[in-house]
Amino acid sequence: MSGQKKCPDCGSSEIVEDAHYAQNQLVCADCGFILTEGLLTTTFQDEEHLQEVTYSRSTGQNEQLSRCKLRGIKRVQDLCKVLYLPAVFEDTALSYFQRAIEHPSFHLVSLEKKEILVGCCVFVTCRQHNWPLTMGTICSLLYAEKELFASVYLCVLKELELDVPALSLTDLVKTHLNSFKLFQSSASVPAKFAEDKEKMVARTIQIVELASETWLVTGRHPVPIVTAAAYLAWQSLQPAGRLTCTFPRFCKLAGTDLPPPAHLRLKELNDVLLRMASQLAWLRVLNVDKKTVVKHIGDLLQHRHFLLRSSFSSGDTEDQSATAAGDGSESSPQAAGGSAQAEGRHPGGKQKCSSVRRPLLPPCLINPRKRLRTAALSPSDQAITGDEAISDSEIEQYLRSQEEMREFSKAQAWH
Amino acid sequence: MKDDLSSAGPQLYTPMSPFDTDLPIQAAQSASFGSHLDQSKELSTDFSSVDLSFLPDDLNQENGEQTRLEDGHEMQREQYRSQSTEQDSGFLNDSNLSQLSYADATQPSPETSGACPPLTPMTPITPMTPVSESSGIVPQLQNIVSTVNLACKLDLKNIALHARNAEYNPKRFAAVIMRIREPRTTALIFSSGKMVCTGAKSEEQSRLAARKYARVVQKLGFPAKFLDFKIQNMVGSCDVRFPIRLEGLVLTHQQFSSYEPELFPGLIYRMVKPRIVLLIFVSGKVVLTGAKERSEIYEAFENIYPILKGFKKAS
Repeated sequence: MSGQKKCPDCGSSEIVEDAHYAQNQLVCADCGFILTEGLLTTTFQDEEHLQEVTYSRSTGQNEQLSRCKLRGIKRVQDLCKVLYLPAVFEDTALSYFQRAIEHPSFHLVSLEKKEILVGCCVFVTCRQHNWPLTMGTICSLLYAEKELFASVYLCVLKELELDVPALSLTDLVKTHLNSFKLFQSSASVPAKFAEDKEKMVARTIQIVELASETWLVTGRHPVPIVTAAAYLAWQSLQPAGRLTCTFPRFCKLAGTDLPPPAHLRLKELNDVLLRMASQLAWLRVLNVDKKTVVKHIGDLLQHRHFLLRSSFSSGDTEDQSATAAGDGSESSPQAAGGSAQAEGRHPGGKQKCSSVRRPLLPPCLINPRKRLRTAALSPSDQAITGDEAISDSEIEQYLRSQEEMREFSKAQAWH
Repeated sequence: MKDDLSSAGPQLYTPMSPFDTDLPIQAAQSASFGSHLDQSKELSTDFSSVDLSFLPDDLNQENGEQTRLEDGHEMQREQYRSQSTEQDSGFLNDSNLSQLSYADATQPSPETSGACPPLTPMTPITPMTPVSESSGIVPQLQNIVSTVNLACKLDLKNIALHARNAEYNPKRFAAVIMRIREPRTTALIFSSGKMVCTGAKSEEQSRLAARKYARVVQKLGFPAKFLDFKIQNMVGSCDVRFPIRLEGLVLTHQQFSSYEPELFPGLIYRMVKPRIVLLIFVSGKVVLTGAKERSEIYEAFENIYPILKGFKKAS
């Protein structure tokens, strides 16, 4: 018994070594507080603190690993704890990290990159287990730049030869909506704004699937689509009080970010819904426009398969897409009103008809950006052999005269 | 277009190793070379590295699908290069060889082919669906990157002072950036004498441009030569004209594709044979890069087109 021990409870230094059924115990004589029970292994340091020694510390395992690796391992464990990941994920992520850090391309990189490497390993693990984690989340947790994260991520995939399945949007919806603070009324969320989580998740998933079928999802960032779909779903579940709530206000209520592309996604979704509305018999008479279509989302989703087929022509009509692009974008607010007349003119005016049934194409093909197309090589260019004679005059045009050189060196005098 | 090449005659199946040097066809090839290659610097009689996949259909009866595919893109090659069989005698490489001899051997000649070896490719290729026709689309070359060795030490400050079209900022980058108007290209010239030329739209343009840069350097007083000109990378692009479901493509071709919409809107497809990287976008536009030769770009596109077409119907 050393004289340095003090009881953590009452502070007395009267510590006795007692045996309780042959198990050694250190007990405080004054208050009865048990300081230690049956230590199997100790280190010198721990005798002072009277704590059990963990396996990793007593076996000297950690001494074999470099400080960089130890720090990385700890960071991986911390990140897994913050994200509430199952224990299996932590082991997988650790194994990836240990493989990666050995690799020459990661061994000597900057600290910033090593930190990002930790994030990449956790991210890859999650994606492989179909746990919907976005890069945005990891980047914000690590305060990492997205571009740097992207390059390290691609490098990790290549070096470790890992396969990552595609992100499942359905799972992403569930996870993303989990973070919304709309499911209980509180000080900031009035009762009429609170919503049942199951219903909202179900409807959001349906809207996201609708977006996926109408080419709004391919090639786009997934989170803005989920946010826009959640907004529409939330509005449509109780249109009465919620139509006046704007998108930014909704995001503030929910406690989530409003990513910039979400406005565009919302517009595109509304456009699709309006077209579908124009095909529903009982909605045509109501003159639905983009503000009121929200009220009918429930109906539209219920009949979405039929409505998609009837409101969009099949994708084969590529030549029509040019005409449809011009007509469709202008007449979409009037589509619902004009559709009644268009139906009558169906056998006749092909132009009008194509404005109602737009081909089912991605938005980049419907509204192609005017781009300067580089022309193919002209015939004279094609005939170049690469061995033509090069005239002196042509080369001389690229050389400076004496006077120019003098001027130039004067101008550069301070270099 | 396809029908005249496919012959219905009886086929001999004699398993022989490909590129066997005592094939009767090879004798015909070496005869045709005599006239074309007077100016060639070197003529290798060892044809073991020559790509014989262009040979007419009747030799490859076993690989009906294979040769139809190759016939498809070699027809395009012929259309594209019909006026250029005499060119480029300056250097002799594999692509030249196959194109020069193709000009002669356009008709199938069953008489000369006593033994017909099936030329099966040995290397694993990307999964192929049976091809019934070529795509009819020719990728357009957008950029060629080439390097050449001027073989003399250069004073970059001197060059930047004497040349109008040069910029030199040693703090930012350790090379002179020089540009010429015709062909519209950019060159990076290093003090070791090595040079990189980018921006040309064809191999010949790239070579011409590189020679012009070398000439400029010569006129500035350096004893520049023109050694080891090599095309390092070729980039092509084209449009299949229908939208593509990238999510579906990444599911069925997972081992070759990488689709991360959070990172990049396109799908990155790493084809194994030929070793080309394709960027496939939802609009149907395809970018092909990583080629050392034009034929690789055409071949890669012909390989990917049936795969993409499969996704058109599915949507």
